[in-house]
Order: sequence, then C-alpha cells, then structure tokens
Amino acid sequence: MDDTPNSQELFLFLASTAHDMKNSISVLSGTLERLLVDTSPETSVQAGSAYPHMAHMLYQTKRLNDNLMQLLALYKQVGKPAYPFDVQPLDLGQLVEQVAAIERVLLQSRGIRLELDYDPGLIWHFDEDLVVGVLSHAINNAIHYTGDRVRLAIRETDGWLELRIEDNGPGYPPALLKAGEIAARGTAGGVNFLTNSTGLGLYFSSEVAKMHRHRGRHGSLRLENGGQYGGGCFILRLP
Amino acid sequence: MSAAPPSSTPPVPVTPAKADQVDWAGKHYLVVDDFVGVRQLLRESLRSLGARNIDQASSGGEAMGLLARVRYDVVLCDYNLGEGKNGQQVLEEARVRNLVNPSTVWLMVSAEKSVESVMGAAEHQPDAYLIKPITEGVLLSRLNRVWHKKQVFRMIDQAYAEKDYLRAARLCDAQIEVSKVHELDLLRMKARLMEKSGQPTRAREVYERVLEQREYQWARAGLAKIRLANGEFEQARQAFQGVIAENRYYIDAYDQLALAYQNMGKLEEACAILERAAKLSPNAVLRQRNLGNIALKLDNLPMADKAFRKCVSIGEYSIMKTPDAYLGMARVCGRKSDPKEALQWLLLAQREFGQEHPDIQLRAKITEGLVYHESGDFRRARKAGDELEAMLNASGERPDIPTCLELATLLFAVGVKDAPVELLCYVIRNNHDNPLLLDEVQAIFDKARMQEEGVAMIRASKKEAADLMNQGVLLWKTGKLAEAVAWMRDARKSVPNNQRILFNAAQIMVSHLQQQGYDAALSGEAYEILAHVDYLLPGQQRFAQLMEQLAQLQPAADGSGAATAAPAPS
Repeated sequence: MDDTPNSQELFLFLASTAHDMKNSISVLSGTLERLLVDTSPETSVQAGSAYPHMAHMLYQTKRLNDNLMQLLALYKQVGKPAYPFDVQPLDLGQLVEQVAAIERVLLQSRGIRLELDYDPGLIWHFDEDLVVGVLSHAINNAIHYTGDRVRLAIRETDGWLELRIEDNGPGYPPALLKAGEIAARGTAGGVNFLTNSTGLGLYFSSEVAKMHRHRGRHGSLRLENGGQYGGGCFILRLP
Repeated sequence: MSAAPPSSTPPVPVTPAKADQVDWAGKHYLVVDDFVGVRQLLRESLRSLGARNIDQASSGGEAMGLLARVRYDVVLCDYNLGEGKNGQQVLEEARVRNLVNPSTVWLMVSAEKSVESVMGAAEHQPDAYLIKPITEGVLLSRLNRVWHKKQVFRMIDQAYAEKDYLRAARLCDAQIEVSKVHELDLLRMKARLMEKSGQPTRAREVYERVLEQREYQWARAGLAKIRLANGEFEQARQAFQGVIAENRYYIDAYDQLALAYQNMGKLEEACAILERAAKLSPNAVLRQRNLGNIALKLDNLPMADKAFRKCVSIGEYSIMKTPDAYLGMARVCGRKSDPKEALQWLLLAQREFGQEHPDIQLRAKITEGLVYHESGDFRRARKAGDELEAMLNASGERPDIPTCLELATLLFAVGVKDAPVELLCYVIRNNHDNPLLLDEVQAIFDKARMQEEGVAMIRASKKEAADLMNQGVLLWKTGKLAEAVAWMRDARKSVPNNQRILFNAAQIMVSHLQQQGYDAALSGEAYEILAHVDYLLPGQQRFAQLMEQLAQLQPAADGSGAATAAPAPS
C-alpha cells in the first residue's frame, strides 16, 4: 500500500467497515452454532427439516467469513513486508485443537467425520492466524465436496512440515488442478486463480505458503487427487 | 489463583493434563465490546463453559470503572471500542494502576490481524490476540493455552516484579529444560533480564542462540540494541534498518533507529523515521512526544506543532499522558512569537499535572523563561529567572540532571549568577565520576564566561563527593561496619543522587546484614537505596548483583532464619 492520503483514507474506511461486518458475521455464525448444538435432529421432530438448512447456512456464513478475511488480508498485501506477519513457535497439538474447534459444529451438523493424524508434541514455526485460516478454509471446502469424511494429516519430512487435507469426494476438477500446478511453480502471480471465487481461497493460501521462509526456502501449495481416500488432497508445505 | 501448583523453587513441568483441570466456571469475567451482539455472544460462550460471574462493558471508560472495583480473572477486550479509550489503552491503564493481577488472563479481540500484535514493544502486551469470529471451542482452547503459559512464567514474573533479575534468569534456564514449546519465549525473557542486569554480553549470547534456530526479528533487534548501547551507532543503524526491511510493522525498531540517528547527530533522519513510525502506529503518546521534541530541535515548527497536539489529544484517553507535550506546545508558540498562547499551555500543564508531577511548576517556569528569552523579551525572561531562583532557594528538591543543565543555561543567559552555579555544583557532587557530564558542565560555565571559576568549582565539588565516599569505604574496610553504615547514611543525605555513593551505601549495608545478622529495617533501607539508583539509571550490573544478595538474605517464609553463607570478613 502506498502512503498517499487517499489510500490511507480508503484503508481506514475499509478497516472500520470490516470491523463492523466481522461483528455481524460473528453474531451470525455464533448464533447458528448455538442453534445447531441445541437442536439435534433426533431430539426434536419439527427441527428435523430446519436442521440441514441451518447447517448449510453455517457453511455459507463460514465461506463469507473466509472470503472477507482473505480479501482483507490480500488488501493488506499478504506476501509482502507490508503485512503484519508474525511467526511464533507452536506445537501441532495447539494448532490442530484450534482448527478442530473452529470446524466442530459444522462437521457435526453435516454428519462428517474429521480424522486426525499428527504428532501433538511436534513444534513448528509459523504465523498461527494465517495457517489456521488456510486450514479451516480448506476443511470448509472439503466438507462441501466430500462424501462422509475429511482427514487432516500433518508430518515432518526432510525439514518440511507437510499439512494435508484429504476427502473422499469426487476430487478436484482438472481446471483447478491445473491452477494448483501454476501456484506450485509460483510464476504466474496467481492470476489464473482469480477466475472464480474458489480461486480467491487458493490464491490466498499460496501467498500464505510463500510468505513462510526459512534458510532460503519458502512454503508452497499443491492440489492433487488421490490420497488415502481417493478424493481431493490440499497440501500445504512449510519450511 | 486457586489451581496454582505449590510455590516451590524448582520448576514444575506443566503437562496438558493439568491445563484441562482449570476451573473456568469459577472465574470472574469481564467482556468489553461496543457491539451488543458480540457481548451477548461471548457471554453465552462463557456460560457454556459454566461461568456464572460475567460483567460487561460497552466502552473503555465503563471498563475502567469496573476494573477499578472488581479483580477479574479473565478480561476479553475488543481492541476497537469506538469513541474514547481503545482496548490497548484500557490494558495499559489497568496494568499501570495495578487494577489487574499478574495472574489475570487478558485476551485482546479484534476484527482482523492487528499491527499492534507484532509491534515488538514488549511492555503491556495482552496474553493473546484473538481474531473474530470467536467460537466457543477456540475460546476455551486459547484460555487453556494462556493459563498454561502463565504457569510456566509464574515464578519468573514474580522474581521480575521483585527486580531480582538474576534469580529470574536462573528460573528461565530451569524452565527451558522442561517446557520446550516455550523455549523461545523463555530465551527472550532471559535476554531481557540480562540487559536489565547490565550484562549485554550474556544477552547477546541468548539472541545468537535464538538466531541459530530461526530468523526472529526480535532477536535481530535485540542484538542491534546492544550495539546501540555500546556506542556502535552505525552498525546499530544498519541492523535496525534490516529489521524494518524484513517486517515493516516492527515499530520498536523505528524508535530505536531514531535513537541511533540522534546519537550520530543526524536529527533530520531521526525525525523522518519517527514520522514514519507515527504514521503506522499513531496512538503512542511517547512516540509523538519524541517526534515533537526532535522537530522542535530542528525548528520544524509545523511538525512539532502537529506531534505535540496529537500527543495531547491521544493522551486524553491514555495513562501515558505526559506534561512534556504541553511544555512542547508552549515552546512552539514561543518560537512563533505568540507568548500569550504559550502561557496558556503552561497554565493548562500545571492544572492537568499538578498532582502527579510535583516539579511541574518549576518546569513550567523554566519553559516560560525559555519562551521569553527566545522571543527576545529580555525583561520578562529576567523576571522568570529571578522567580526560578526564588523557587530553588525555597526548596531543597532539585529536578533531574537534564532539567538542571537546561535551567542553569537559561539562568546564566538571563543574567542570574548564584543559582546556576549552585545548581551546577549540585550536578557535579552527584555525578563526580561521570567525565562526559563534567565536560558538559564545564561547557556551560565557558559559555557564561566563567571558565576559570568553573574549573575550580568542578574540582572542589568532585573532591567533596570523593571524600565522602572514601571515608565510608575506609571505615568499612577497617571493619568498623556500624560506623560505615552511619557515615554512608549521612553521605546519602548530602548527595542524594550520587550513584557511586548510593551503590556503596547499599553494599556496606549488605555486608552488615551478612556479618551481623538480618535486620528488617536495615534491609528495607538498602532496598530503598537500590530502588532509587535503579530509578536514576536502570539496567546496571551492580544493581542486579546487590538485589540478588539482598533477596538471599531475607529470612525464609517459615521463619527458619536468614540464609547463611556470610562471607568471612576480610
């Protein structure tokens, strides 16, 4: 962002609007989560038909929140020194606990099982808010396309932390896989991502990946089909 | 804290299982947000953790009112609170006024990633920053994490609060062994402790150990600060610029870089860098003040005016509020040849700060003299000078050293003779072993065409202080401990701000305690002396060593008597 008075003003305006929208989304998603927890389809007959609708509303609300967060972060220039990037050491137990806590109600309401495979004691260095944002966005997405389960698997290989989100849905369409390849090469500046709304999430995620640097290496994002369940695999690698 | 482990000295490894046992239901909560929907949502989330005592505030002012009355265990505070204080200002004021316990968990909530969360200023940080929306599960997991970390730091924070920095550093070492996930936080704390106890070499080792693991900008900035303190200004400048290039929001590096430029005599550059920092983080009172002061030195009146005014306006909601901004505004008005408005700022300063700053009258009068002197009104400047002389004669209290020098310079300039000479002698007696300061004093005498008198005064005042100290040390070395203590007590009365003498007084009292046994009154006196030296110049090695020795002499809580190990009298 440049420092001309105009952009400064626009930025302040955006920030205060975002603050307001976030409050609304907070109340919306918080209320939905509460309603979903309080009314399980088995206990209440008349809730039966409303329940899946509420579950879908929660999914859409989370999408709205993810998109807003990503737009804001990109406006603040994720990937450039201008973003308040903040790397801290964190054990994977804490990371996964965060992500699972964010997704719990949505998973439950959709009847989807989240399988976890990770070493809770492993410590890694990353920007927690950004990585939690990327993972929960990827899980939200997987929830929408999967059959009945989603897997979050994290392991260390050759000095890299590999975070995989796999589902047992039909997998990514070819166009998206291609976009993923371009992201992995990191050359096209992500322009191809921006042809649809899913693209924003991928572009954001690959920028977050690249922002994590250590000893001359930087993180990356990869999409593939297959994995343990044969569905879509979203793979984030951090140095 | 109800669930705290027993307070034994060896570190207690805290396992996640323990964190699960935290009784969140029994805690007292405060929720601060200007949006009623969010307050209700957070209250509901807390209720489902079992919480019963939940208070709410919709503004910073309301939050302060509640914090003043109730000791909360957990505060959930939005950063953005609309008009009035913001969340950071509420936190600062609550900490400075001691309205929260060290064990209080403070979570700062914001709509998006805030600049403040990475600014790098170690003071007055919340325990965690949370980004909206906050679900119940996230809230619980963050509460547990913070609680867990507070357990790891509990003993260290306590030693830190008691200013026993060396004990705190040993506790850090012990905790690093048992809690790997907090290793970097513990190392950061340890480096800070080493700086505070005047051991920059050991602080540097800690920072280098961190950098072997990862490129952390706070460690780079730490190394740069050590260079700055060492007088390696050019290397410090490069290092701070490197930190800023890596992380534009590491605001602390801007402040330090400005300091490096100031030390290199490059005021223009210092001013420019503070201006950039003030743009990124405009609500820091002290940064605006520093910017105003430098701009004033550069005679950049529009910028000084803007910075001081901003400082006054944000000070309205901040505990960091400072009279310097008001005095600065008066100087700006004086330079603009508007002494009338200058006087109004001075009146305002005295009205606003009369209570917390007993020296405000004197400082306002000095500024008045400067304003008249600079605007060429020599008659009124002289009158202010005479009034200052009368004020000095009426009170034995003297302002801090920079103010003394400023005052002496002004008094000479307006034609007053005796008061500035007395003031400069006071400065020398209290700093007889500081050659740089003695040069400065001599320069003031020279400017007043009193070169030879200056030389003689400095020599006499230096000798006076040295004699006082040597006699005390002689009594001590010849084993006359009681007399040495009495002598140093008197010496301290005649030169209350001489750090050498104060350190020696404390040292002799410590020997007395070690050899003649513990005595609460004497120990208290030694603590008082050390607190005063630390106030005069923080971060000295001798302070840390004496604080540690004094703490070891305290009788154990179970009444088993003072620690032994008194060294043999030599």
